[in-house]
Amino acid sequence: MSDYPKNSHDIPLITTEQVGSEEFIVNMGPQHPSTHGVCRLLLKMDGEVIVEAVPIVGYLHRALEKIAENRTYLQFIPYTDRIDYVTAMICNHGFCMAVEKLAGIQVPERAEYIRVIMDELNRIASHLIWLGTFALDLGAITPFLYCFREREKILDLFEMTCGQRMTFNYMRVGGVSRDLPEQFIPLAKEFTEYFKPRVDEYEYLLTQNPIFLGRTKGVGILPQHTAIDYSVTGPNLRATGLKWDLRKEEPYSIYDRFEFEIPTGENSDTWDRYSVRIQEMRQANRIVEQAVKSIPEGEIKAKTPAVFKPPAGEAYVRIESSRGEMGFYIVSEGNTIPYRLKLRTASFSNLAVLPEIIRGWKIADLVAIFASLDVIMPDVDR
Amino acid sequence: MVGVDVAFKVDKDLIIKICYFAKETPELSFDLLACMTCIDYVERLELVYNLFSFKHRYKVAIKTSLPRDGELESVTPIWKAANWHEREIAELFGMTFKNHPDPRPILLPEDWEGGFPMRRDWEGKDFVRLPKK
Repeated sequence: MSDYPKNSHDIPLITTEQVGSEEFIVNMGPQHPSTHGVCRLLLKMDGEVIVEAVPIVGYLHRALEKIAENRTYLQFIPYTDRIDYVTAMICNHGFCMAVEKLAGIQVPERAEYIRVIMDELNRIASHLIWLGTFALDLGAITPFLYCFREREKILDLFEMTCGQRMTFNYMRVGGVSRDLPEQFIPLAKEFTEYFKPRVDEYEYLLTQNPIFLGRTKGVGILPQHTAIDYSVTGPNLRATGLKWDLRKEEPYSIYDRFEFEIPTGENSDTWDRYSVRIQEMRQANRIVEQAVKSIPEGEIKAKTPAVFKPPAGEAYVRIESSRGEMGFYIVSEGNTIPYRLKLRTASFSNLAVLPEIIRGWKIADLVAIFASLDVIMPDVDR
Repeated sequence: MVGVDVAFKVDKDLIIKICYFAKETPELSFDLLACMTCIDYVERLELVYNLFSFKHRYKVAIKTSLPRDGELESVTPIWKAANWHEREIAELFGMTFKNHPDPRPILLPEDWEGGFPMRRDWEGKDFVRLPKK
């Protein structure tokens, strides 16, 4: 009995060289629960180790860019909700901001404040969905329930403002579609106070949890130069230690008026990507707190003509979505319809880097790494 | 162009050299290919490379024109991010990228036979154009 291994670490590993094997292909998805949508991965496996992964995308391709060439600027706003339905407010904001920059429209101050509040609440909601499903993929069910509990409160705030819980169609070129209801500000203040200890609660469940650490620490390292080479942006890039956030470095809207920090990681592993997002939720909450306190009275929408025609020209405007840089490239010929609209989405590039990270990891780690990248499929396929 | 520092046009045969220069010159070091766009002007295609440099905070857009069925050198060896963007453009606009490491289609269905949908004069079964006023 003395030779009997005490724990799994003492069991000698049987390598493929010893038993003799050949590589085989495993198909994962498109309906696999941990691919968070309809992403298909072809995995070339050597035993349990991934030799190569090929993502196959396009299952949600709705040709939004083609639709845009056939809709007026105002008509396209509801479609922007569907680019990334988890952060629909930020997509709304990005598109409206691109058109405003092209047409040179000045947005009233109150509208800017409302936009920032909505963006940051949406960022928290998006990170909450991510955190819940990420923990769920690693086998922790409780954070999922907690995250959706808090997200519900944010969705209630959205619902009382624009009547929708998911696809908002709230922002307009030049401002927002309607003013905040009377009870919004007190409820938002209440939420910011309520939310602060909730983040500690998630951290209490996960941050020092040995199982969680074992599944994430040192797993799926994405080197900084690879991340930049693949145009990875957002929390995934910040987790590699690069302090880069468009809200800070290239302040759009009124982000230069608020105090917040840019959290970064050190080891660029799965745990760092988790940690960056957790801290980002705190920072987003901070911004909401400041914005709610200082929101001025006034107009909520700049005057735009009923038949809106931006001047001929081109614009590439980018915004920090919860997943990274979201760009809108608009070509206008001076008509009511854009000549061309290109959507540069963060998830598209963030997914493209997956084969680089995944090489050499086991299939169980793939679930953790894929989830940590926070890719959302409608954002990839557009 | 709104939103970038400089936008300029280059000859299509020079694009690979210019991109290589833009990335490797220390005074420029455009390390991020932020966006890659193709615009169909019916008689020609226009490609736009939106570049960004983390070091110097420069933003440029490099444009190039080519005929609709033309060929262009792939910039994937310079920025790996171009890989998927080029696959998307090749598939939707019907141009080809020379020396692309993985020229498979990306977004359209496997059995797609409907042509190149992002071209301006594309006609599809269920596609109805907005009436011109």
